[in-house]
Amino acid sequence: MIQNPSSTELVEPDQPQGVAEVLREAARARTAVFPLGGGSAGSGWRPPQQPGLRLSLAKLNRLVDYPARDLTITVEAGMTVAEVQRQLAANGQRLPVEIPYADRATLGGAVAANSSGPRRYGCGTLRDYLLGLRAVDGCGTEFAAGGRVVKNAAGYDLCKLLIGSWGTLGVITQLTLMVRPALEASVLVACDVSDFRRGEELLCELAGPQFRPVAIELLAGPAWQDDPLLARQSEAAVARLVVGFEAARGEVEGMVGQLTASWQARTGAAPAVVRDDAAAPHWDRLVHGGIPSRTTPPDGDRATNGDAPFLALKVCVKPSAVIAAASELLRMGDGVVIQSHAGNGVIHARLPLRRADDARSVLDRQVRPCVAAAAGKLVVESFPAGLDFSAREVWGSSGDAAAVMCILKQQFDPQGVLNPGRFIFENS
Amino acid sequence: MSPHTIDQLRGELRALLGSANVLSDRSELVVYECDGFTIEKNQPDLVVFPRSTRQVAGIIRLCRRYRAPVIARGAGTSLAGGCLPLGGGVVLMLTRMKQILEINLRDRFALVEAGVPNIQLGRALAGSGFHFAPDPSSQVACTIGGNVATNAGGPHTLKYGVTGNHVIGLEAVLGDGSTIQLGPVEDPGQLDLIGVLVGSEGTLAVVTKVWVRLTPNAADFRTLRAIFSTVDDATNAVSDIIAAGIIPAAMELMDQGILAAVEEAFHFGFPADAGAIAIIELDGPTSGLAEQETRIVEFCRKWNAREVLQAADAEQRALLWKCRKLAVGAVGRLSPSYCIQDGVVPRTRLPHVLRRIGEISAKHQVRIVNVAHAGDGNVHPILLFDERDARQVQRALAAGKEILDECIACGGSVTAEHGIGVEKIAFMSRLFGPADLEAMGHLRQAFDPEGLLNPGKLFPADGRAAAERTSAVRRAMV
Repeated sequence: MIQNPSSTELVEPDQPQGVAEVLREAARARTAVFPLGGGSAGSGWRPPQQPGLRLSLAKLNRLVDYPARDLTITVEAGMTVAEVQRQLAANGQRLPVEIPYADRATLGGAVAANSSGPRRYGCGTLRDYLLGLRAVDGCGTEFAAGGRVVKNAAGYDLCKLLIGSWGTLGVITQLTLMVRPALEASVLVACDVSDFRRGEELLCELAGPQFRPVAIELLAGPAWQDDPLLARQSEAAVARLVVGFEAARGEVEGMVGQLTASWQARTGAAPAVVRDDAAAPHWDRLVHGGIPSRTTPPDGDRATNGDAPFLALKVCVKPSAVIAAASELLRMGDGVVIQSHAGNGVIHARLPLRRADDARSVLDRQVRPCVAAAAGKLVVESFPAGLDFSAREVWGSSGDAAAVMCILKQQFDPQGVLNPGRFIFENS
Repeated sequence: MSPHTIDQLRGELRALLGSANVLSDRSELVVYECDGFTIEKNQPDLVVFPRSTRQVAGIIRLCRRYRAPVIARGAGTSLAGGCLPLGGGVVLMLTRMKQILEINLRDRFALVEAGVPNIQLGRALAGSGFHFAPDPSSQVACTIGGNVATNAGGPHTLKYGVTGNHVIGLEAVLGDGSTIQLGPVEDPGQLDLIGVLVGSEGTLAVVTKVWVRLTPNAADFRTLRAIFSTVDDATNAVSDIIAAGIIPAAMELMDQGILAAVEEAFHFGFPADAGAIAIIELDGPTSGLAEQETRIVEFCRKWNAREVLQAADAEQRALLWKCRKLAVGAVGRLSPSYCIQDGVVPRTRLPHVLRRIGEISAKHQVRIVNVAHAGDGNVHPILLFDERDARQVQRALAAGKEILDECIACGGSVTAEHGIGVEKIAFMSRLFGPADLEAMGHLRQAFDPEGLLNPGKLFPADGRAAAERTSAVRRAMV
């Protein structure tokens, strides 16, 4: 196993045809190819298991077309998310999907990893914005999918297939996205959750039809304590609930007023409210998580930055099961950190371990039964250095989708050169 | 299929489903010879009515053994021939699988069988504060399974998205008869096969159950009716509103031709000399609506709107939407036959493409009236003709093709929400190159390698089915 991916050769084509040539040659020679965006997501998940080429998309970073009045943009896959956002902001527009480390993360990488953040509750994820793409399959064949219009029912939607495929079916070279107008108002409202029963009451109210928040975040654990808005105010509280509203000013203030009144009546205390520029740093903290090393810095090895060993987990359940699952995860140790996109049923958890070698037993004896009881899915986002987790241990079973996924992998990458071992294909 | 094979298959299907749920009499089959696309027709060999996923799987296994094509069908309202039984085969009706299995407001989803009509779910949700967002004009009849198959849209997709944005889980039977369940939890750490199945027009799997996301009802509405002297003014106003970053809930356009039909049917009181009207709806908390409304009215005035009126009450709002949704049906008053097209262009190209549609109408001497989901750049020109006159049919087909050519030339697509079906299959190789189509073919290999499910639709690489088509299909009066 190669611990340090930099021991593999780096290629950096500046044209899509160059990507195709690399892959054609790799397929012929059966050389593994590890596509590389900004290296900001997933480098900690499972390092390359064999030597091969690192295929950087960094030089494919041009703007292809930006007809701003159509609210669409087409860029090469290696453009950083921050640069895309800068282009959009100059025209009063934005892509409302949050990608951590946007100044390093590439848009192609974000799509391959299906990155998202707190605003997914109100704004959706990349699948709701990606209109078309160009990619190169494992044989070096370039193909296109979708188009540049905001509604399109022509042919199979291969865009959906490549989102979250972790570079295992094709290397994305170009993307077209639908974008949105810039924000007028952005407000965060936060309150302590005194106990879990109360937590579910508050979440139930937010799930009702009267509010339209863009984010519902349930936070717990020591990692939030340095942020005055996100930290719980009372030692006795079990968690902090943070709700984001973004829309036209009048619309936002109407909902904020309603929610603060309701929370005041329920909890007896006025919730914290921060607006616009004052809210920005807290949003940023929510995007990057209170869970260091969930997304590892680009060139860093996973979980070796001086921290005690830990597991970073993503648990996905129905929204109504979030409270039960989160409370159970918190019982697994004092230092457990939780960030849940509670309206979506997505829970990120960081579990400290006494010893790295405890990782498997903690997973098997405590975490997996808890996730199974909630009929949820578990993905291990980071595990201690020195351990070797199989793809199956990282991703869990694909269940009913497994057989179809294996055939798709075989079809798009018959030589198995694209990111081998990075994603779950149960026949590999 | 030979008559002998059909007899044998019928016997086995009757044993599986009961005789009453298997149709084979030609007089009964005639109902299933086409969908809303009536230019091509062909009778199936058999029609079956399963009541459960288990029965659907049983039907598919039997059909696989007899190599009989399986054409899944909901209400048959699709407009591109998606459920036309091209080379015969078995039409699998999902209309008796119409139970709403669960409405879960806490988790904001409903679990429905594929044959549940869109409107039935809407009615079941009345008073809950939630709705299922996709609202195709056929929503009083069309099924949710059919919405999934075509990735159906509707007026309110402008703000709320198409069916694919609202499906969080599926149960489906694949070409080998196996049943899979995908979702409903988000981010399951596997490929997004739900996203792939939505819009696949019954060619990859037969969807039997759907977990749909529920959308909170808006607290308040402003529904505006803007009257313009010309189509150009109306489309320019729409284009400016979008470019200014205002995304209303819906922004619909009807031209003078269709207004005449609508007026005759519903007596709404549209002025007879209006060139076009736009129906623009804003929704959300009351507190945010007034300001957006002011800005929209300004854009309409800039483009010479003669009048911008707000629906006075819920009743007037409902009537406006009724006019829009039943507009296509009202066209029956104008012409014995009509074909509704579905093209989409980048939003700023809307004024251009509607001008071109006017020119194409004159060139081919085919009367064309227009409705459009204008905010999305999605046009629905309706071509009027008499199907008893072969020359008129030919002219209508030629005009339709030229309109879609124009959409492609503008950087758009030949369908935004109706699907490819059989109608537009020839356009696929113009929208996509060989490598693109081959990549799509990988999906067919993975889900239905034997090509049992709805062969000859959506995807042109299916050479065998396409070859059979010319001999088996009766083309209406062509």
